[in-house]
Amino acid sequence: MVLFETRGLTKRFLGVTAVDAVDLSVEAGELVSLIGPNGSGKTTLFNCVTGYLPPDGGRVIVRGRDVTGVAAHRIARLGVGRTFQLVSVFPRLSALENLLTFLQQHQEENVLARLVRAPRVRRLEAAAVERARSLLDSVGLGARANAPAGTLSYGQRKLLAFAAALMPDPDLLLLDEPAAAVNPTMIEQMKTQIRALHRQGKTVLLVEHNMDVVMDISQRVIVLDHGQKIAEGPPEVVRRDPKVVEAYFGR
Amino acid sequence: MRAARWVLGSALLVAFPWIVAAGLPGQQRYILHVLIFTALYGALALSYDLVVGHVGSLSLAHPAFFGLGAYAAALLATEAGWPFVAALPAGVAAAAVVALAVGVPMFRLTEHSFAMGTLGFAIVTQIVATNWVDFTHGPLCVTGIPKPQVGGLRIATLPAFYWLGLATLALVALLYRGLTTFRLGRAFHAVRDNETLAAAASIDPLKYRMLAFVIGGAVAGGVGALYASYVGVLCPGELTVSLSVNLLVMIFLGGVGSLRGVVVGAAAFTALPEVLRMAPTWRMVIYGLLLLIIVIRAPDGLEGLLRRGAALGRRRPSSSGA
Repeated sequence: MVLFETRGLTKRFLGVTAVDAVDLSVEAGELVSLIGPNGSGKTTLFNCVTGYLPPDGGRVIVRGRDVTGVAAHRIARLGVGRTFQLVSVFPRLSALENLLTFLQQHQEENVLARLVRAPRVRRLEAAAVERARSLLDSVGLGARANAPAGTLSYGQRKLLAFAAALMPDPDLLLLDEPAAAVNPTMIEQMKTQIRALHRQGKTVLLVEHNMDVVMDISQRVIVLDHGQKIAEGPPEVVRRDPKVVEAYFGR
Repeated sequence: MRAARWVLGSALLVAFPWIVAAGLPGQQRYILHVLIFTALYGALALSYDLVVGHVGSLSLAHPAFFGLGAYAAALLATEAGWPFVAALPAGVAAAAVVALAVGVPMFRLTEHSFAMGTLGFAIVTQIVATNWVDFTHGPLCVTGIPKPQVGGLRIATLPAFYWLGLATLALVALLYRGLTTFRLGRAFHAVRDNETLAAAASIDPLKYRMLAFVIGGAVAGGVGALYASYVGVLCPGELTVSLSVNLLVMIFLGGVGSLRGVVVGAAAFTALPEVLRMAPTWRMVIYGLLLLIIVIRAPDGLEGLLRRGAALGRRRPSSSGA
């Protein structure tokens, strides 16, 4: 089953075509990497897909539903989670609260029920706290649950942002450079985490510069250059593709 | 222990008119008057902090909502003879409806433009109140606003008003707490701290900003209606933009985003100018200096001082034992 696809997705900035008619399709349960030189349009594509940028052309389809131009918070509600390249947490909230913020359950509760803290809301809250604690434990942040997120190290914040994205149990997870600017131990931990997600049957689309990570964990690799898809296939095939070699190293 | 302190504190607050009557019989009217203002200012500052402190939107439209509620209730009571129990909700509703209508276009503006836009709205509201003489009586003011009557109970004495003010403050504080803690509070703070990430957490930033803005405006309207019925006269001068400045001083010097801080700030900055009347010539100079000292020495407000004090108090016994 195709969980997520783009058809002819295009985004232009002042005459520069950052994403140029990209067709992309990800099956449910796949672990796919999106790679390409700097400025090849990977993050722009992510932003178009998750509702942060309106595309100038083409379609974004999640589970057969056209979500082109839909607001970011609505796409998130469809079970699409994402992380950001520049680590993004709520610095003043504790690590635990950061995770709880990601579990809003908008559909099940109205404002009034939450204001008076109806028993149902309290039960959901208790379950949410339990889930948040186990996720924090799984990324090794259990001991820092009550620390304000702003006081965590860069790598810890990266893990926290990752755990937070998992909080609503998304079916599709878009990770923007999870291994960038973290130490080798943390990279191994990140790889383990992503593999574990894949084993649980989650669909993961990864933007990553670290080729070791990409070649090691991806089932399939898609290569962008100047906004266009230039190659696609299993990691070992893509890495030998002359077009890819040229895009990275020049002719 | 904590519950006992709460009960004692509440009992003291409720019994205050008698305590003052026994202790300072000559001053009772004046002190109660200041306390009624404190309670109303406290409720108003809390409603404003929902917008400024919790969703982080610097709205300067709050005096307009206060004025809308006050004028709606006052005019309905004097011109149409509505009883207080109907005029008060009408004031709340009027402010809420206008906040809803104004909020939708205003929140399309980014930070500074939002402040300017809401400031413009506040100024326009005051100009309308001043110049639409046929309707608002303009500078002649709305006079003879009746005292509140709830059922068979007429609230006309100072102690009765004090209790009404206290009950209002308590009610608004409960609402404030319900909104700003737990899941709603987290959604508000997410929008304030990182709007992009909030959207990734399925939080609709506009929805929560509007929620705080409309509820804050509605409460301000209710406080306005109470204020008008207490003072008995309502003039366009009550809607000045300087009310926003006063409220911002209370919130930021009290402790932005904190229930206790905002209430302490409202109490301090309503009572302080009155206490300083003892030195009439230097009053505003001393007031200004005190503000400066607090800004420099306690940038996170009185709430920050209170917390540091409490932490110090907890540390001392243990360190002496070690």
